[in-house]
Amino acid sequence: MTAPPGADGVAVEGEDGVAPLGPVREVVRAPVRRPADRSGAPGREDVLRQDDYGRELLGSLMRAQLGATLSVLVPAVVLLALYPLLAVLVPDLASTQVAGVPLTLVVLGGGIYPPLVALGFWYVRRAERVERRFGELLDER
Amino acid sequence: MTAPLSVAAVVVITVATAVIGMRGMRVARTQADFLVAARQVPALLNASAISGEYLSAASFLGIAGLAMLEGLGALWYAVGYAAGYLVLLATVAAPLRRFGAYTIPDFAEGRLASPRLRRWATVMVLVICAFYLIPQFNGAGITLQATLGGPYWIGVVVLGVVVTAGIASGGMKGITVVQAFLYWVKVTAIALPAVVLVLAVSHPPLGTVGGPAPATFTHATDVRFPDATRVTVDRAVTVTGTGTVDGRPVRGPLVLRPGGHTVAAGTSLRFPAGTPAPDVSGATRSGSSWASPLLHLGGRPDHPLAATYGILLATVFGAMGLPHILVRFYTNRDGQAARRTTAFVLLLVSTFYLFPAVFAVLGRLEAPALYLSGRTDSVVLALPRLMVGGIGGELLAALVAAGAFAAFLSTSSGLLIAMAGALSHDIMGRGVRAFRASALVLGAAVTAAGLLVASVPINVLVGWAFAVAASSFCPLLLLGIWWPRLTRVGAMWGLALGGGTSSLAVVASLAGLGRSGWPALLLGEPAIWTVPVAFLAMVVGSLLSPRSLPPNLTDLLATMHLPERLRRPRAGMVGQR
Repeated sequence: MTAPPGADGVAVEGEDGVAPLGPVREVVRAPVRRPADRSGAPGREDVLRQDDYGRELLGSLMRAQLGATLSVLVPAVVLLALYPLLAVLVPDLASTQVAGVPLTLVVLGGGIYPPLVALGFWYVRRAERVERRFGELLDER
Repeated sequence: MTAPLSVAAVVVITVATAVIGMRGMRVARTQADFLVAARQVPALLNASAISGEYLSAASFLGIAGLAMLEGLGALWYAVGYAAGYLVLLATVAAPLRRFGAYTIPDFAEGRLASPRLRRWATVMVLVICAFYLIPQFNGAGITLQATLGGPYWIGVVVLGVVVTAGIASGGMKGITVVQAFLYWVKVTAIALPAVVLVLAVSHPPLGTVGGPAPATFTHATDVRFPDATRVTVDRAVTVTGTGTVDGRPVRGPLVLRPGGHTVAAGTSLRFPAGTPAPDVSGATRSGSSWASPLLHLGGRPDHPLAATYGILLATVFGAMGLPHILVRFYTNRDGQAARRTTAFVLLLVSTFYLFPAVFAVLGRLEAPALYLSGRTDSVVLALPRLMVGGIGGELLAALVAAGAFAAFLSTSSGLLIAMAGALSHDIMGRGVRAFRASALVLGAAVTAAGLLVASVPINVLVGWAFAVAASSFCPLLLLGIWWPRLTRVGAMWGLALGGGTSSLAVVASLAGLGRSGWPALLLGEPAIWTVPVAFLAMVVGSLLSPRSLPPNLTDLLATMHLPERLRRPRAGMVGQR
């Protein structure tokens, strides 16, 4: 897993809230920049500190969570936006039938829901994994 | 067409709701109990309750009715209503629960340290709930009208009295169980009849709905025109009936020649089997146009792709901004439970939305008379009796009527709680008595409004509530949770511009402004421009006011994003007091 842009020590206040759209990251890394008087892995107390280092830790968690969010929302947007667009580009779509049932009915009357629900449950797993790893990171020392 | 079984079903569902709610009443003591039911609700029960509260008249009656009237493209409403929960799940469910605020005004005040912003949010809660509540009463009126044959006002008043009394006395501890119960009532009441009707349909084959033919009467059909109606006939058809057509009295056979005809209110005409249903403002258009995957709403057929995206934007982003739904997330144990609950809501809501499409298709095939009488919103209620007949049809009709009433009861009570909570907490002074007084006042006011509303399609009204929510609370929540630089000034700009422009557009649409072309689209589906305006206003306003950042920003962000077990013991519950 390569480090995405922005993971190497950007303070939370500098973050614009929008994660890169590229390959989505799921590993929470300890930020590179650390106070000079500390060593070893970050601990639970660090994240609760109101200093730059605590903010950095929190920022890395938020970016990881935002990555999980985008990893389901981008496919969802594509899924929803694509079919209307296809209908404009391919006007025959309206009269297409699948086994005697209009294609639109197959898609809008049922077919579109299973992928949406699957994305939902997949997101829950990913978000919980992000939190678990973040917790392990803090508990390690 | 009095139907004793249907009346009994509506009475049973109302009494059952009242009884279950009353059992909870004994434990309802403090305002916190009223508002969030003590936070100890298991995930599936909670998901059922959220779904029960969410599936309103728009879902139960409106989607099928609108899809029958305007074509399958109207099913995007249902898709958007469900997909809204995916967005809610992936963006706000856990952080909002962790933040610990009860309501959106709580969140606004706690996150941005501004009592003034809180009052603005309260006003938006009242506006959105009102836009959403009125069509529920509209639906109740239609339902009792269709099942009892009585006047429209009966349903409106019955719903108003039951809901207002229930909330003023019971509060939400009871309502959580009631809402969960009502979800299962609703899903049963739509799924079972749908399956039976699909098995019952033999002619014509399902595939013909996408064919070139307009809707056709499969058997000789009596059509009663409740309002004066302009119909267009393609080829001459001989009807029999009583009333007035083209200004001349009719008694007996009449040949309708190709062209337009004006049918006076109260006229009854009998159409022979096999005739294409006359066209009423394009509603019975050809099957291939009806089966188009794009939304062609009546007044604004010009820009179907933009219209479709507009509805998707409103529904997908509006779900998280509905005040009555957010309150429910605090009945989850923690952020993780909030996520799991939301995923189950997505599943439960999606399951429900498999069925309205069935009624829309069968309605077009089997009940084209509803196009002529302008009653497509009642297709779910009318089909069982029409297609099955006999005692079986009566039983199914009773089940559907019960489900419809469950929909009005659950959504209306959720909305009224949110409104009464906002009004009492922020305007009338806190405490249980203020809450009860607010519930009574608002219940009476909305019942009165329900009596006045014109028969706009239910879904169009509800779509507007979503558009306003998507243009006000959605950016507030998304930016408040994920963008550290949001300030109270920016939030106010966004609420004022997004909430203001979308509300004005809705009012303008209701007043009849913008009947065609881009004005119709931009006023009738404001989300397509007001959502970007709201986000832009919040971002620009925040960037221009960096000094109004809340002082304890890091603490606030940590509260929203850290898992509970990593938090300081005292963190959390921000804004509770």
